[in-house]
Amino acid sequence: MKQQLLTSKYWLLLLVLSFVSCEPLQQDENFAPTSIAPPTEEDAVNWKLIPGAPVSNLAQVSVPVPTATTSSDYAAELETIRGLQKNLSSEQKKIIAKWSSGGVLRWNRYMRELVARFALAPAPLLDGTYPTPDAENPFSDPVFPFSNPPYAARAYSYVSVAQYQALQVAWFYKFKYNRPAPHQVGEGIEALVPKSTLPAYPSEDAVMSAVTCDLLKVLFPTAVEEITKMAAEQRNAALWSGKASPSDLSAGLALGKSIAALFTARASGDGMRNAIGTKAQWMVLADSASVRLKKIGRDVSKEVFWKSQDSPVRPPMLPFFGKVKGWILAPSDFTNRRPGPPPSTTSNEMAKELEEVKFYSKNSTRERIAIVHFWADGLGTYTPPGHWNDIAANYIQQEGWSEIRSARAFALLNMALHNAAVGCWEAKYYYFNPRPTQLDASIKTLTGLPNFPSYPSGHSTFSASAAKVLTYLFPEGTEQFKAWRDEASISRLYGAIHYRIDTKAGVEHGSLLADPLIDFAAADGADN
Amino acid sequence: MVSLGFVAWSQTANDGLMMSNKNLCTGFILSQDQWTNYWEGTRLRENGNIGTLKTQSLAWMGNYGVSGKFNIIAMLPYVRTEASAGTLKPMQGMQDASLSFKYQVFSIKPDSLTTVKIFAVAFGSTPISDYTPDYLPLSIGLGSRQIGARLSVFAKRKSWYVVSSAGHYFRGQVQLDRQSYYTNGELFLTNRVAMPQVFDWVSGIGRIKNGLETKLSFTHYRTLGGGDIRRQDMPFVSNRMNMSRIEFLTMYYLPKARRLALRASIARTISGRNVGESTTVLGGILYTFKF
Repeated sequence: MKQQLLTSKYWLLLLVLSFVSCEPLQQDENFAPTSIAPPTEEDAVNWKLIPGAPVSNLAQVSVPVPTATTSSDYAAELETIRGLQKNLSSEQKKIIAKWSSGGVLRWNRYMRELVARFALAPAPLLDGTYPTPDAENPFSDPVFPFSNPPYAARAYSYVSVAQYQALQVAWFYKFKYNRPAPHQVGEGIEALVPKSTLPAYPSEDAVMSAVTCDLLKVLFPTAVEEITKMAAEQRNAALWSGKASPSDLSAGLALGKSIAALFTARASGDGMRNAIGTKAQWMVLADSASVRLKKIGRDVSKEVFWKSQDSPVRPPMLPFFGKVKGWILAPSDFTNRRPGPPPSTTSNEMAKELEEVKFYSKNSTRERIAIVHFWADGLGTYTPPGHWNDIAANYIQQEGWSEIRSARAFALLNMALHNAAVGCWEAKYYYFNPRPTQLDASIKTLTGLPNFPSYPSGHSTFSASAAKVLTYLFPEGTEQFKAWRDEASISRLYGAIHYRIDTKAGVEHGSLLADPLIDFAAADGADN
Repeated sequence: MVSLGFVAWSQTANDGLMMSNKNLCTGFILSQDQWTNYWEGTRLRENGNIGTLKTQSLAWMGNYGVSGKFNIIAMLPYVRTEASAGTLKPMQGMQDASLSFKYQVFSIKPDSLTTVKIFAVAFGSTPISDYTPDYLPLSIGLGSRQIGARLSVFAKRKSWYVVSSAGHYFRGQVQLDRQSYYTNGELFLTNRVAMPQVFDWVSGIGRIKNGLETKLSFTHYRTLGGGDIRRQDMPFVSNRMNMSRIEFLTMYYLPKARRLALRASIARTISGRNVGESTTVLGGILYTFKF
């Protein structure tokens, strides 16, 4: 009897505890350390360089001849590693494990965190105006940057393309000099990561840490301390694990820095600094769109153009981002692919479109709200380009790819996402079409209303471009990517912030913009 | 931004009164909470895209006396939210059902005019509809299951009384519709959110005379963890929501039908963090059945 009473008490306690389930959060991607070394990918020295990207020739940045492994200098380096390996703390071992799941994946995850941290629009001042984030004064309120979707797409692309190009150059020198890793030649030096025969000079970890660090410092200047520490950590992990010697690291560091300089030079002249524009330029956006529509024979006397519905009225988000330099594509390649005009805001067709938005606004179901929020990726998130990087990371991680092949995948994806941002923003401000809530104030939205013109839908463009690249890289995921693309696209109609025509035009546009990148990928020699 | 179920509930669970044996006090409580300014972290501001946020609720309440020393209190609120500006759609639905077990642990009468009582309360609540908690400030609730316990001390002399009550609550993880979120300086790649625990403390002074009860109380509500709303960000479900409130309550037992009682109260948040600077007006009608 007493026994029974105890048991029932125990069950009651369990029941109460399970009521507020306190199991620890599984808060991260499963970036488990790899147990098998990735392929050395010797053939990567023959992969074609991205046309028009800063590194146009593998020997463009020189890396000096390394000392021989038989030299006394090198012997001293090995001695250093032996000393370090003898006294590794559990903290240091954790750092080795963290980076052994792949530096490219690690940095990509960290970049998504940075984007989410900075994806906040400036707060209005008391006089109803908005201050502009200032790269020269990044710590003030508002902090610099406001990593909205175009800013984020561009940032992801710079880091990804720079990492890929830097690794291409590193691979070139690795196989030119063929200096083995310390764990291969150093008596008593353990490989604390899976053993690889990949030549160690220059160190791919050092190259990656330097190129990423220097670019992130420009893109997210207030995070400089964190970025610098993380880069140093990656190099330390390579040193402690017996993967790279001090001279492998210093050559890699120098190479990474030289390549970062080529990319920061490109970034400072790619048009981003003019993307916000001036008040005088904002004032004429509607008039310019009106002139364009008139040219194609439209009666513009009653046409409605986009207006900010934020209170107080907020300047449009990056109205000149459409002029920012793309990857592989020339400016005319963007304008040639621009979607045709949306129907007139006074047309019956538009009235029907508006009616459909109103239907979804009024008849929101729990299931549709879940779709809206799953894909919203709005303020304070890693943005839609980040969402597609998240998806890509999960696929890449399962492949067990080399760093250079992972970097290529992210470079292809993020060039496509950046081009989608450029093309979509160009079209948005070309037509300057109003949001559904502007044409009918009774429409209520299920997510935040974006502060830029409606047509075409950015989510649709991003998702179609990304899905196309991922389908090329992971053909087994074709159906899945298509389903995600369509769901991301329609989520904007369900959220009552876009018309169906916006989503359709965006999907077609995104797909079209990604084609030239797929052509490049198919011919660069990596997938032969 | 914290939903107000707890305000109406706390009155009954915190006070020093007990339903008698086999009595059921039941009825409806209507409340309206509204704010225009809110604390973004510790910064008090307004938001042109929200305007005034109004949360209305209609709750059924039942308090049953299993014995004169043991009461069971249940609440079932229906909540509706609306913002006066901006485009965000109002939300409505059944929120969280709660059940409290109130036990009189101790009672003493030092003299014929004075009574001192100690009560222990065990509390549990759970969302009873599939509302989204990830749409603040328009979500109707936080979507978290809760269990908690409180201890109240009640002392009465003649018609005056003082009451002091403290509670601690554990809150279960919340599930979002999305796979990643950023809060408290960290990116989380999961749809689950860990909810920090909550501590609250209520003190009040009141008077019961000729069927009229009046009470003035102070509530100190603290979330023991969680991040602040960042500059110009939306509130998030696991934010560190803190508030200090002052409430004035009156309850009137009708002289001709003493089983019928009317309740009214007004409360104001006087300081806070990641919550609205809100004013809550509440009215209720309660009837006591004897079995």
